[in-house]
Amino acid sequence: MLRVADKPESGVSEARTDEWSECLGLIAKNQDRAAFTRLFRHFAPLMKAYALSGSTLSANHADELVQEVMLKVWQKAGAFDARKAAASTWIYTIARNCRTDLYRRLQKFDTPLSAEDVSPEQEDPDAFSLLQQQRNRDKIRELVNTLPTEQAQILAKVYMEGKSHSEVAGEMDIPLGTVKSRVRLALQKLAIQIERKPHE
Amino acid sequence: MSKYHPEQDLLTEYAAGTLPLAQSACVSIHVERCGQCRRQVRQLTELGASLFEHLEPVAVGDAQLNAVLARLDEETPLAYDNSRAAPESTPAILQRLMRGDFSDLTWKNIGSSLRISYLQTGDPRHELALYHIRAGGRIPNHTHRGNEMTLVLQGGFSDADGNYHEGDFLFRGPEDAHAPTALQSEDCICLAVLDAPLKFTDWRFRWMNPFLKLRAV
Repeated sequence: MLRVADKPESGVSEARTDEWSECLGLIAKNQDRAAFTRLFRHFAPLMKAYALSGSTLSANHADELVQEVMLKVWQKAGAFDARKAAASTWIYTIARNCRTDLYRRLQKFDTPLSAEDVSPEQEDPDAFSLLQQQRNRDKIRELVNTLPTEQAQILAKVYMEGKSHSEVAGEMDIPLGTVKSRVRLALQKLAIQIERKPHE
Repeated sequence: MSKYHPEQDLLTEYAAGTLPLAQSACVSIHVERCGQCRRQVRQLTELGASLFEHLEPVAVGDAQLNAVLARLDEETPLAYDNSRAAPESTPAILQRLMRGDFSDLTWKNIGSSLRISYLQTGDPRHELALYHIRAGGRIPNHTHRGNEMTLVLQGGFSDADGNYHEGDFLFRGPEDAHAPTALQSEDCICLAVLDAPLKFTDWRFRWMNPFLKLRAV
């Protein structure tokens, strides 16, 4: 499914595209409803699963969230840039932000900040970091299924169920340090490492 | 660039969207200005996306699709300019919370060197505040009854553990006591997030402890 688009552009020569980024492009350019429908059929069931894995949302709220996220995808398709992110990552980020905002609304949070305000924009990558980014992305996707169950389970709780490390520790009745070290081991396996150079 | 950064587990919670609002506001200002942490967060977000892709899909009926399609007419795709603006000197999040600039804030004086201005994020369990320390000024020795995040926005300060400059991010637990002193050269402005009030250990300020309440909301 993946291929390399031949669109040389300002020094950044490759933007890898796939079916989903093409759909986003068609929505941005032509307000293409067929492309939107294709995206919906693939991503809406994942969004619903994501909404329900938090377990505090009712089925109604989950449906509401799916609609809200898909509308945002439609509205914001023009902001998607295949050079900066994979379409699925971009869509996941919207779903994550909308779910966080929905939680806060349900808890009657009165705040001037949305989850999007506190998640930084992707920067324009140079050709090198673009390549690096794609390599990282492939590696993470390839290795995520090879994690030991105890690590995968904790990552699922943190990311999909939206629980803090201490909530996970409480729920599983294990020390917070154990949760943190399992997360750290998992990240090591996925080659997500802190780079700490003295100067930057 | 910063020498002090959020730990990886904090960045993981940030990327997963599980950090409380006031804390994620503080982390995001650091991340926005720190290339290393930004790359880190990007990978941690990729991890979230791959877990998302591997979820067991839950059926969504055509009724849902049609409901969304019917709403598309009201929602025209927005036009976007994809060029990224350079971070402004005052972070956008703060501008929104301050409803203006540093000079528009109401400050509360604590001693002669320290002024505090509380920002309202709506987070009921965390206090987000700006600390303004006069050049060379010292904050009375204190511990934290809970956790404290600090981000240096301007100038710098030092304590027994090191020197901190613009962009540096610190996370301290309940047991850490310190008496930060601003650098001599200029005033220091920090953003701090607390989940419990400070506790002064300096005897001259201890009388204040019972009055220190968390200014959350």
